[in-house]
Amino acid sequence: MVIQAAPDNPTLSEPELVECVRAGEDRCYDIFVRQFGAKVLAVAKRYLRSEADAADCFQDTFVAAFDSIDRFEQRSSLSTWIRSITVNQCLMRIRAASRRKEDSIDDLLPQFDSQGKRMAAYEPTHSSDAVVLIDKSQTKALVRGKIDELPDDYRMTLLLRDIDGYTTQETADILGISVNAVKTRLHRARSALKALLEPELEHWT
Amino acid sequence: MLTCKQFDAFMLDYLEHELPFSDQVSCWLHLKMCRDCPKFVQQYQQTIALGKQAFEDPDGPVPESVPEDLINAAIAHQRRSDSNR
Repeated sequence: MVIQAAPDNPTLSEPELVECVRAGEDRCYDIFVRQFGAKVLAVAKRYLRSEADAADCFQDTFVAAFDSIDRFEQRSSLSTWIRSITVNQCLMRIRAASRRKEDSIDDLLPQFDSQGKRMAAYEPTHSSDAVVLIDKSQTKALVRGKIDELPDDYRMTLLLRDIDGYTTQETADILGISVNAVKTRLHRARSALKALLEPELEHWT
Repeated sequence: MLTCKQFDAFMLDYLEHELPFSDQVSCWLHLKMCRDCPKFVQQYQQTIALGKQAFEDPDGPVPESVPEDLINAAIAHQRRSDSNR
């Protein structure tokens, strides 16, 4: 099913849609949710590990969006604005659930000897075919599964920076950490993901 | 010359060209001289590409269908909220 504006409603420009929702017009709630629902759900599913959490996040995102639309200043697109609300809602859920100590990823990070020399002999297990293989849905699912194995702090940083395309500064603002902390987490997350993917991709090259 | 460990600490900024010129050159020289780090960098960059592609949608900008009950629940919540004001 492709989400579209309700057929009995004409297409509205973004400013018209914002004004219409602010005015509390019933039909505009419908247009708004249908217009952005698919993206909200996609982001929620990306950040949250369970379908139920993604569905709850979907509801919370629209509640938050309707509550705060009076403060939407149209400096960004509605799509960008609602994506940031969705990410924040996801973060709140993840933080609420992450009271336990994060798993360590130290075993997945590069090791160096006392001279600072890289210890593992990295053979090129990712052949150029690996990037081609990702077109297969099975491979995409495997990579998504490996990203899901990362501890939340690293997974969130990787998703924000590498997948959703936020800048380092934006990621730092969203996560409430320093730019340097974002860089450290991102590098460790990428290195760990690389280590997690190596044995899997080796079979396909 | 940088050690592999020192290069690893610079690596993210090096790949994003955010280092001062002298450090950028030091990293570049390390990659020219080191046996292992170029392979690591290659695989690291492929990992980034694999991650991006894993979330790419081949069918266009709307990757998900939304269950109608989810849409209706969100709209109903807002209507209830309006009527309570």
